[in-house]
Amino acid sequence: MIDPPIPALHLTAPRARKFGPVNWRGMWSLYRREQLRFLRYAGESVAGPAMTSLMFLAIFQLALGGDREPMPGVSLAQFLAPGIVMFSLTHSAFEAAAVVIFHDKIEGMIGDILGAPMTALEVVGTFALSAASNAMITATVIVAIMAVFVDLPLHAPFAVAGFAFAATLLFAFLGIIVGICAERWDHFSAAETFLVFPIALLSGAFFAVAKLPADVQWLFKANPAFHAVEGFRYGFTGQAQESPALAAGILLAMIAVLGGVAWRLFAKGYKLKP
Amino acid sequence: MDAHSIFGRQRGPRAMGAVNWRGLWTLYLKEVRRFLNVFTQTLVAPMVTTLLFLAIFALALGGAGREVAGMPYIQFLAPGLIMMTMMQNAFANTSSSIVIAKVQGNIVDVLMPPLSAGELTLGIAAGGVTRGLMVGCVAGVAMSVFVPMRIYDPLSLIYFAVNGALMLSLLGLIGGIWAEKFDQMAAVTNFIITPLSFLSGTFYSIERLPADWQFIAHFNPFFYLIDGFRYGLIGRADGSPLVGYAVVLGINIALGALVHRMFATGYRLKA
Repeated sequence: MIDPPIPALHLTAPRARKFGPVNWRGMWSLYRREQLRFLRYAGESVAGPAMTSLMFLAIFQLALGGDREPMPGVSLAQFLAPGIVMFSLTHSAFEAAAVVIFHDKIEGMIGDILGAPMTALEVVGTFALSAASNAMITATVIVAIMAVFVDLPLHAPFAVAGFAFAATLLFAFLGIIVGICAERWDHFSAAETFLVFPIALLSGAFFAVAKLPADVQWLFKANPAFHAVEGFRYGFTGQAQESPALAAGILLAMIAVLGGVAWRLFAKGYKLKP
Repeated sequence: MDAHSIFGRQRGPRAMGAVNWRGLWTLYLKEVRRFLNVFTQTLVAPMVTTLLFLAIFALALGGAGREVAGMPYIQFLAPGLIMMTMMQNAFANTSSSIVIAKVQGNIVDVLMPPLSAGELTLGIAAGGVTRGLMVGCVAGVAMSVFVPMRIYDPLSLIYFAVNGALMLSLLGLIGGIWAEKFDQMAAVTNFIITPLSFLSGTFYSIERLPADWQFIAHFNPFFYLIDGFRYGLIGRADGSPLVGYAVVLGINIALGALVHRMFATGYRLKA
């Protein structure tokens, strides 16, 4: 086949694009690709978790009864709503990040990213940011729907946004690590069932850790999701078992560790490059 | 050189009676091996999820001795959770089997062999029932470590377990045949099956609902399954188990007929 004649305008060969220490345009392109992929399936990725969250709220209300206050001055629904939203945030962020990497890897599309002039840090950072923002879009919808049914206070909006971002970033990095390490779909779903669900469900999202016997509380406090839930709930209700600053510090440290691991795995090409 | 000299004798088509038993058994084995091959996903994972639910509710109650119908809440909850996971897994088995086969195109391997619509319905549904019952046994045994359980009425227990798994297997077949893409299947699971199973009295006695909603809850077929299964385990039901027996049987016959019709006409299966 003969190439079509080159239009006169393009006679000069394109030159290599120059960029500084950070390939911003590459990051933006990758971010937008992930956004479009998310929006393509927004029906399931937003409506599905929204449905599940509302059902959790209904079930816990009906099963546990509305007369008990898990924290003084906070009704059961006001206590549960932030916890359920945080569960959705963490789970969505994990799934978004893990599925993208894993899917691209087994479909062979990861080459498009490995071959792009982007550093490992740029790629991992963009993946984490896009997974985090996608999960936060889902969570915003859930909060909006819940606000119809629950009288939801908003004590500290910045704490809400900050803890939502920190938690999604943390679980997005975890998702990236799982996506890189998994070789088959069952590895991915095993990580989800045996790692992410226990972490996200046994985090104090659905029950007050403060009311548990003192000698088992440490078990829950060792869970990073506990701190995310505590901080997030503080943002809504203004009450928390531990200081939000401590929770934020622990989360930031965890993000640094997991982000570092994800970055190194990607940079080494672990299970990504032949 | 003709066939006689190669094989020694004429190989005619295999004779079979009114029912292709060997084909049916082969199809059933294929369905069972399909989920046993990934048993961590299909048996262990549901068990862990069920135990997590149990743990959350136990922790949420925080030792406050809440009772439902004169028994500790956890004892009330356990049968509901077992039934719910059985139902969800029976549904997942048949629906994923059909949708994956359709999307990948290997559905012809099931449609081409000399299997009638009835045999297809039975073979695939039986695979789903097997998964449901196995998950139920695994989850039940695991739970009995934490929750005291004794069987009140074994007959009802088995009846509702089998019929519950069968109902959801048939629904999974209908959903799988109807869906053309994975997202459509996910939508059916998210917006029909999960809400119906969550809001069916698994987690609470429907006595707690306002009167109008109690009435509506009786239109949820899953309510009869959960209620009947719970009756079989702990001897307590919101409705009458006899009504449950009849409703469940009626629905299963209707669903079975519908699936049979879908296979017979090739609805969304044959070009």
